[in-house]
Amino acid sequence: MTRAKLQSLSLLLVGVIAFGLPLVVRSPTYLHILVLLFLYAYLTTSWNLVGGFAGVLPLGHSAFVGIGAYTSTVLALQYGISPWLGMIVGGCLAVVVGVLIGLPTFKMRGAYFALATIAFAEGIRVMVENIEYLGPFKLNGPRGLQIPPLNTGLTNFMFAEKEPYYYIILVMLIAVLALTWFISRSKLGYYLSAGGEEPEAAMALGVNVARCKLIAMAMSSFLTALAGTFWAQFTLFIHPKSVMSLDVSFEIAFIALIGGRGSIAGPVLGAIILRPVSDLCRIYFGAKLPGLHLIIFGVLLILVMIFQPRGLQEPLTKLYHRFLDRMTTQPARAD
Amino acid sequence: MLYVLEDAINGILIGSIYGLTAMGLTVIFGVLKVINFAHGSLLMVGMYAAYWAVALTGIHPYLSLIVVAPVMYCFGYYLQDIIIKPIFKAEKDVREPITVIIVTTGVWYVLDNLSLLIFGPQYRTLQDNPLRGKMLEFGGMMLSVPKLWGFVTALATAAAIYWFFQKTRLGRAIRATSLDREAASLMGINQYRIYNVAFGIGTAIAGIAGVTLVPFYNVFPSVGVLFDIKGFIIVVLGGLGSIGGAILGGIIVGVIESVGPQFMAATWTEAIVYALFLVVLFVKPSGLFGVKYDW
Amino acid sequence: MMMLDLKDLVKDFGGLRAVDSLNLSIEQGQILGLIGPNGAGKSTVFNCIAGVYPPTEGEIFFDAARINNVKPWDLCRQGLARTFQIVKPFTSKTVLYNVMVGSYVTTDKRSAAESKAVEALKALNLYEKKDVKAGNLTIADRKRLEIARALATDPKLLLLDEVMAGLRPTEVDEMVKIIRGLRDRGITIFIIEHIMRAIMALSDRVVVIHFGQKISEGPPKEVASDEKVIKAYLGEEYAVS
Repeated sequence: MTRAKLQSLSLLLVGVIAFGLPLVVRSPTYLHILVLLFLYAYLTTSWNLVGGFAGVLPLGHSAFVGIGAYTSTVLALQYGISPWLGMIVGGCLAVVVGVLIGLPTFKMRGAYFALATIAFAEGIRVMVENIEYLGPFKLNGPRGLQIPPLNTGLTNFMFAEKEPYYYIILVMLIAVLALTWFISRSKLGYYLSAGGEEPEAAMALGVNVARCKLIAMAMSSFLTALAGTFWAQFTLFIHPKSVMSLDVSFEIAFIALIGGRGSIAGPVLGAIILRPVSDLCRIYFGAKLPGLHLIIFGVLLILVMIFQPRGLQEPLTKLYHRFLDRMTTQPARAD
Repeated sequence: MLYVLEDAINGILIGSIYGLTAMGLTVIFGVLKVINFAHGSLLMVGMYAAYWAVALTGIHPYLSLIVVAPVMYCFGYYLQDIIIKPIFKAEKDVREPITVIIVTTGVWYVLDNLSLLIFGPQYRTLQDNPLRGKMLEFGGMMLSVPKLWGFVTALATAAAIYWFFQKTRLGRAIRATSLDREAASLMGINQYRIYNVAFGIGTAIAGIAGVTLVPFYNVFPSVGVLFDIKGFIIVVLGGLGSIGGAILGGIIVGVIESVGPQFMAATWTEAIVYALFLVVLFVKPSGLFGVKYDW
Repeated sequence: MMMLDLKDLVKDFGGLRAVDSLNLSIEQGQILGLIGPNGAGKSTVFNCIAGVYPPTEGEIFFDAARINNVKPWDLCRQGLARTFQIVKPFTSKTVLYNVMVGSYVTTDKRSAAESKAVEALKALNLYEKKDVKAGNLTIADRKRLEIARALATDPKLLLLDEVMAGLRPTEVDEMVKIIRGLRDRGITIFIIEHIMRAIMALSDRVVVIHFGQKISEGPPKEVASDEKVIKAYLGEEYAVS
């Protein structure tokens, strides 16, 4: 069998497993964990468009999660608008905010950019925490918004069981991965990596680095906001400390960094490795050893940055390729 | 009107302490060109160190400096040596060592959550320390005594650090390295040792700041987060690498925080500080006193 | 037809005048060499032309259009390419990837970009190394990569900034051949160089600047025996009066 065929086969296998998992895993707790895993894989892959390809370090992405969550929730609660529509509106709003943030900050160098994104995100969070009403929209300040689980069904983006959520986020994840793969092979992808790695050289080669970064930011913020709506519909309760917090921004960045930013598989791998650690620690050690998962994250992050700065995806991908090589050099057998 | 003045003066006092907390950050940046995201956590460690030194021995909080400063220096020295140096070596030719920022963020997480695990989430205060709650009356205003002590300590530390960098051989070696690491190493200065020393000094300053805070501020595992963020703001306001700028930036933040609630809800003053931070970042990123780097 | 025309170009950095009233022009298809002692302002001239910073005074005309404040990426689209004195390869990417970043300026399609990149690589004798990571190349190959990248953008005018520095004599000769080949394709070339044998071999005309001012101009042999030039490089004692 050729290498390419084997690669497609392995991808297909992964896909089949992913889609078939809910048939095997019946426990709502574990399904919940899986949904969150895919959610974070989605979030980190979206983050990767700016943080990986564009080569900067945005540490305030939870702002977009919050924008998405609040927009669709407010529109649904106050005006009865379907969350699916609200999702799109939230996404568009996030694009505007993202571009506004990006315009001045992309001119800055690394550390300043990171600080500025933190400041923006925290500023937005503080604002939402302090406002009851933004014009006609009720934001409810620090108390947050609760979505009454009244009408289930696809149009209302609300379900009693975990399975539908699982499939929705899985489809979203696959879409984002495909988009990332597409971009990485396209002109924009080449321009983004070039601009991220050596901006002066890239500019001399015809790359409008700032504009490419803005495009990446627009895409990333749109996609991230969509996840915000999903989050709201899944947990049915949002407040600034949950959807817009610095912790969420950092977790997204950490997962991408440990998994390997700039690659396509990296963020997903990072989520697969780290999210279960996070959830299992909370379940088994939550009371006795709070914050254990964060210590593990921190230590992992340090170790990965020292020994494998391109992320854990590098050795894992090498292993995968070696496996492929081994499988394809096997002599064709008569059976 | 007097209230505003009183608030302003108290704001200056607490602001100078903020400046002290940010001073270590600016020293580390000035030399290593790296923004140490773990700085708040180092402050937290310093506060716990001071807390336990006093709680276990009953000495005057400021006497604990004798123990805290050297301990923190060593902590910072080896933190840089063991964890950050490998990254530096790997990223020698990279213009902006972003990986170091990532690593220090990891250190932040580990330290904060380790102390949560070890010390527990409860807020601790030094109840019977000789400075707690003492007020000094001055011209009809009530000034906080522990903050006054802090103010003096902040200025003394700033002066000492300034003297160290200008007048001592080691200090000059550090400045040389910060200006041009390759040239300095060609002159026989071991740049990695310099980085260790600089990090040690920055951490020791955080320890001193911890001592000044402990008499009146609560000690808890995530106390560093707020100071971390404020520290960045102060250091950008005052100028990365500038010691006087750190004190001044701290005072600006302190005054806004103290006087602000007179005119608006307290939580909005937090937003104002962020807004000011962003304005400075865009308009004059080198800050009010900072050296213009190749940013 | 003038491909490049500098009129009274001045560039100040604070109090320092790096380029002082420089007048210079290159005809289409020519190779112009720019030489001068270290710190004379040569790279500054390139940076002004390439849009890295605008000139303090004076005008720059490229292909009859005034380009004083045009951004580097727009200049590249208009056909002005440059290399950097300290090479800046995208070290984590392959040689082919590097050059494709350049060739994408001419097209939006991946296949077209790839074939154009391959063309450029072949012109620079780098095709066999197309899948090597740029970070693993020798300095000589990195310099060729730098040129290949610029070539892939289909330039009318190519600014080469000390591409020979650090090369062995045989490598220099090879580079001279390659650059001649580029001119034969119709590209106008403006080259800064310290290595005299390269400049003498390549240039149709040479301009010498010292402390930001032009002190000599003409065919290579004339310039080399110009007393002012000898003084500037070697000092008063060596001038033959």
